[in-house]
Amino acid sequence: MGSKWNKSSLMGWQFVLLPSALILLFSFYPMVQSLLLSFQSGKGTVYQYVGLANYVRLFSDPMFKQAVLNTVLYLVVQVPIMLMLGLVIAYFLNMPKLRFKGFYRTAIFLPCVTSLVSYAVLFKSIFAVDGVLNRMLMSIHLIQEPVAWLMDPVWARVVIIAAITWRWTGYNMIFYLSAMQNIDPSVYEAASIDGASKTRQFFSITVPMLKPIILFTAIISTNGTLQLFDEVVNITNGGPGNSTMTISQYIYNLSFVYTPNFGYAATVSYAIVVMVAVLALLQLKVGGEKQ
Amino acid sequence: MKKWLSILLLVSMTASLLAACGSSNSNSAEKEGDDAGAAGAKKVVAWAWDPSFNGAALKIAEDLYKKDHPDFQLEIVDMAKADLEQKLNTNLAAGVKDGLPDIILVNDPNIQKYVTAYPGTFADFKEKVDFTQFSPYKVDALRIEDKIYGVPFDIGVTGMFYRSDYLEEAGYTAEDLENITWDEYIEIGKVVKEKTGKYMATINPNDEALTSILLQSAGSWYITEDNKGNFVDNPAMTETLRVYKAIADSGIAKPVTGWSEFVGSFNAGDVATVVSGVWQIASIMDAQDQSGKWRVAPIPRLEVEGGVNASNEGGSSWFVLEGSANKDLAIDFLAKTIGGSTEFYERFLTENGGVGSFIPAFSSEVYNQEPEFFGGQPIYSDFTRWSTEVPGISLGMYTQEAKDALKNELPNILNGADLTQSLANIQKHFEQQVQ
Repeated sequence: MGSKWNKSSLMGWQFVLLPSALILLFSFYPMVQSLLLSFQSGKGTVYQYVGLANYVRLFSDPMFKQAVLNTVLYLVVQVPIMLMLGLVIAYFLNMPKLRFKGFYRTAIFLPCVTSLVSYAVLFKSIFAVDGVLNRMLMSIHLIQEPVAWLMDPVWARVVIIAAITWRWTGYNMIFYLSAMQNIDPSVYEAASIDGASKTRQFFSITVPMLKPIILFTAIISTNGTLQLFDEVVNITNGGPGNSTMTISQYIYNLSFVYTPNFGYAATVSYAIVVMVAVLALLQLKVGGEKQ
Repeated sequence: MKKWLSILLLVSMTASLLAACGSSNSNSAEKEGDDAGAAGAKKVVAWAWDPSFNGAALKIAEDLYKKDHPDFQLEIVDMAKADLEQKLNTNLAAGVKDGLPDIILVNDPNIQKYVTAYPGTFADFKEKVDFTQFSPYKVDALRIEDKIYGVPFDIGVTGMFYRSDYLEEAGYTAEDLENITWDEYIEIGKVVKEKTGKYMATINPNDEALTSILLQSAGSWYITEDNKGNFVDNPAMTETLRVYKAIADSGIAKPVTGWSEFVGSFNAGDVATVVSGVWQIASIMDAQDQSGKWRVAPIPRLEVEGGVNASNEGGSSWFVLEGSANKDLAIDFLAKTIGGSTEFYERFLTENGGVGSFIPAFSSEVYNQEPEFFGGQPIYSDFTRWSTEVPGISLGMYTQEAKDALKNELPNILNGADLTQSLANIQKHFEQQVQ
């Protein structure tokens, strides 16, 4: 026992004790508390334990299904496009002969440091009926009448997807770029000598070597998309109908817009937790190496 | 030595952390004590959104109340409406009373929701204010069981604002717009579109303002008095959605996607009429170059039993929190100003264009003014006359849920789905939502 608690290990414990206590208090305690909350239902402060009733309700809730459908749609369409785009852009920006590299890198990274709300408002005004895009398309005679982008369920979703892609591609690009710079140039030299084309090099060297980074970006993007809130609330506010509403917005509505039912809102939150966990596990299984 | 130093550091950090946790309570308690001691409990805190309207109203009320109570102090905390509602909900749900104000502004459709979800949280005004002096439909919204929560404040009595120059060009006079039905409105709109190239109205499938106005004008609402869905077998609802679709299909409405586009459309002169609440006057008057061109007519009516040419959009009331330390003072302050002072409503109208529901004020001189912007029409007295015709309804506690259920089906309705089937879908959806 005495040897186990030697001086240096005691010192180590002292350092992690406080952060651990804080994490327990501010992260794990609320998690447990919200799990307990998800077994209760009622209005505001009038609560009672209802067992699994909230979870049963979840599976027959049309609004929840709609929100999941929308969120999953963003996920399947947007995340692959964004990651692919990020990868390609990173590849071009990593080319030794490219000039004004710094400018391009800054320009592509800049969207992710803009405020969420202000860029959403910007997109909203671009895609408004009197917006810049409609005027542009009309001046080149591509369309006759202005298109109500944000009032059509399909176009509204396209706008949301374009908005998230615009903002987050640069973020993922930075990860890829820094990973690419860690690949030894001699690998490419060897491949060139063996006669591999640039495209071949990209798919057979760059992509496989970036696999852990791609996995990482895929997981954080999945996570981010499942929690999508700001863009949708600010650009379309879930409309038209509820065709762009996300799960996070539904949770917000259940807690603050509708007659507050925090118990059911907690249940929906736990649905996201389960989805994130399952998807992350799947991605690790598919993309991860046995380490 | 080093070891002692690190232990000392750790202990001091932990202690300071715990101290910080503990002291926040004692601090606020002390602060409250201080306030009560020094100012003799004369300070009241109020939360409200829109400082140029609601905040301004409180300032006028404070000014009036101070004449008799010189040591009275009012602190107005301004925040966005959504933030205010979120803050109120989280505080009440967490059972924390410290962070809440004494007075809070409540949007009328939220009244029943708050009172039911947080029982015992809001003070009863029944004995404090003479409610017979207010428009009955505002008082109805505040009455739950045998209590009346809060003081009625601004109203959203609706009117049809119109550009007299456009309608004249299309060959219509003011009389042609009196007591019309929505189908007649659409016919006029078609002529206006043809002759002037301007749209008659705006339409936003994501905004339920128009459906709410139509429903209330026939004395109906999305939900019944006992909080059940009111979509199936409700003639007013069926007619409302038929009219809504007819407006959308007729091509007389300009599509807009949000509030700023909506306001922009009439400020830019793109539309001939705006059917909206009386509070819209301020936004319409923002376009100073259109002065003298606007007039107001009663809104069109639904052709169903009980359909009238008057309705309401929005409106809010002041509540006092039961648990507040200065509850009695807050009640007295509201009751003597917003709850019963003609002078308050006169000043509120002249300074901020706000129309209240306090009937004795209606006979006052300022309500008869004839603003040049509206071609000398005595619009305020017109609005107050219409306000007495607005059918009283019970807003219930699930208005937002019902609106969202409707919104979900609206694209299908506009695409020509069978209305009876759609209404059944909405009803089912709504019942799912409120279980």
